[in-house]
Amino acid sequence: MTRLVRLYLASRRTPMAAAALIMCALVLRAALSRPWDAYGALQLPLLFETACACVIAVATASPFGELERAAGRRLPWLRTGTTTGLVAVAAGALCAAGIGTHLDGGGQSVIRNLAGLTGIGLLCAALLGGALAWTGPAAYMLIGIYGLYRQWHGPALDTPWIWPARPPDDVSAALCAGLVLAAGLGAAAVRGSRIRPE
Amino acid sequence: MTATAERPLARPANRRIPLAAAGRLVRLELRRNAMLWMLPVVGALFWFLTYRRSVALPPMWNVRAMSMQGTTIAVFMPTVVGAAAWTGSREVRRNLTDLLGVTSRPRWARQLAAWFATAAWALAGYLVCVGALYAVTARQAAWGGPLWWPATIGAASLPALAALGVAAGALVPSRFTPPLAAVGTFVALEASLELVHSAASPGQISPLVAGPWNLGNTEGLATFYRYLPDLPIAQLIFLGGCTAALLGILGVPAGAGGRWLRGSAATLAVAGVVAAGSAVGLAGTGHLDPHGMVAIPALHDAADDRAVPYTPVCSQTAIPICLHPAYSVYLSALAGALQPVLGDMAGLPGAPARISQAPVTYREHDQGIEAVVSGRSASDVASVYWIVLPNQLAGPSMTVAESAAAVRERTARGIVAAVIGDGSDQAQRAVTAAILGTDDLPPGSPVAAAAQRFAALAAAARHAWLQAHASDLRAGRIALEQLP
Repeated sequence: MTRLVRLYLASRRTPMAAAALIMCALVLRAALSRPWDAYGALQLPLLFETACACVIAVATASPFGELERAAGRRLPWLRTGTTTGLVAVAAGALCAAGIGTHLDGGGQSVIRNLAGLTGIGLLCAALLGGALAWTGPAAYMLIGIYGLYRQWHGPALDTPWIWPARPPDDVSAALCAGLVLAAGLGAAAVRGSRIRPE
Repeated sequence: MTATAERPLARPANRRIPLAAAGRLVRLELRRNAMLWMLPVVGALFWFLTYRRSVALPPMWNVRAMSMQGTTIAVFMPTVVGAAAWTGSREVRRNLTDLLGVTSRPRWARQLAAWFATAAWALAGYLVCVGALYAVTARQAAWGGPLWWPATIGAASLPALAALGVAAGALVPSRFTPPLAAVGTFVALEASLELVHSAASPGQISPLVAGPWNLGNTEGLATFYRYLPDLPIAQLIFLGGCTAALLGILGVPAGAGGRWLRGSAATLAVAGVVAAGSAVGLAGTGHLDPHGMVAIPALHDAADDRAVPYTPVCSQTAIPICLHPAYSVYLSALAGALQPVLGDMAGLPGAPARISQAPVTYREHDQGIEAVVSGRSASDVASVYWIVLPNQLAGPSMTVAESAAAVRERTARGIVAAVIGDGSDQAQRAVTAAILGTDDLPPGSPVAAAAQRFAALAAAARHAWLQAHASDLRAGRIALEQLP
């Protein structure tokens, strides 16, 4: 079992993904240590949350396809466990990066946005394949930035589906992001990343 | 005996058409390129983020084109960089390096073909998107023609972004490279805007910068005076230099081609770095010109400082209101807001013969940019009363109705004061309140009662009385009790 997990993690390049997530958090920390104008301060966390979500989504694919299908029925658990673990690493690293600095929206907003963006990435992985799964979070990032712009300039967008533009304690926005993450985790667990030649 | 027709000689089998192989390679890349499949996503994002926002702005070329530049580049940026990085890392990702290394084409040529295809599809999508926005604006705009410079900067950004992506994918061929390059480029350009603090900031070289720092979508730019191409020219040099440098860097590593090819690539890279550096230096020499654009002395053409000739559009009110034709959308609202006052004031001594729109002058100071009414637009009621629309000034954008109300507040009071005095005595205050329809007089006071009485007069009677007594009223020779 341990060997299966180790091989699974290696085939998905999970260690490299975790290193990339920590690198994103370190760059965010470095960026937050300097003063930003209002736009920069609002947008910065969302950009790094998107980068982390993209990395997690891309890490769902194996260059050899889903060979573990033939090895038993544990594959959905492996997929879910790996993805959940990477989300936890990303959330922890990004929240830690914000300690002692002004992270707009705080940790609550980071976790909500990361969850929703990762859900979009996982859905894209199931539809397009892991290698192109980053396109969904990257596109949603632009919509989120537009939402933040409208929050600044008005009239603000009040749909909870554009959750980055909602306050951190907005329950409906958190629910929407959670729903998208649940759908993404479900799709990733059941179908995995779409197999296509890289 | 019949003569046999001489058959034409067959084309030699080995006859070579110059660049045919390169053309085939490009054609293959165009068919297989990832950017093609990204275009629907980019189109949808353009519609949601740029098109809807732009068409909600007033139908003026300066406002729509300048606001379109930054958002369109932002929409294309992650997708183009990501798709290009995906394409650039293809050979390593598919373990084809050794196989393709023995083909007759150098690696650099293959990479250039991949870059060209990505940039070409991105440009095609860009032209469709911007073309649609410009077509709609052309139908709605009342004056002027398309501003091509903002569109050109956007178009020139795409090959540079594609070159950045291909270089990132080729130099760091990992599955994580496309998303990290896409988001990283966005962060870098966002960070570059933080460096812009004045019209002399080198950071203005960022293609996201369409106009002077901190001025926003001010309608006063590029209407009375030309759109200055100084900053766009510097940005074009920068983007061209970046593209050349990034493509040159691809051809430098061993294995990219022969010695001659690698030398050419290195030369291209150096030339690109020099051009980009020069452009950054040029942007750092800029200053804000009085008409609100960034002027760069080395690139400035003095002919661009001349005012743009125009024929004003005028209302049919008792005192005509004349606006620059680009602002004709405001004319009917202004006429409606000012008509009652203008009807009372027309023909009276001291009343203007015409109300005209004036340009504004821009000044830069430590806190930002200030748009001020230029000298001739001060209230000069000798014959022309000069007005400035609120959206010509820096500040929050107003709707047409809000602008008309704001102009009425200032202009009507100014014209009335010029005709009957500035309200220094009670009779003047009563007549002013009656004409302007204000209710700022103390309720129940003799002044308020006189104002109500005067307002209740028929328009013709009021005008006739003013015609006879305006000079005395202005001179303070009319008492409150003498008002009809």
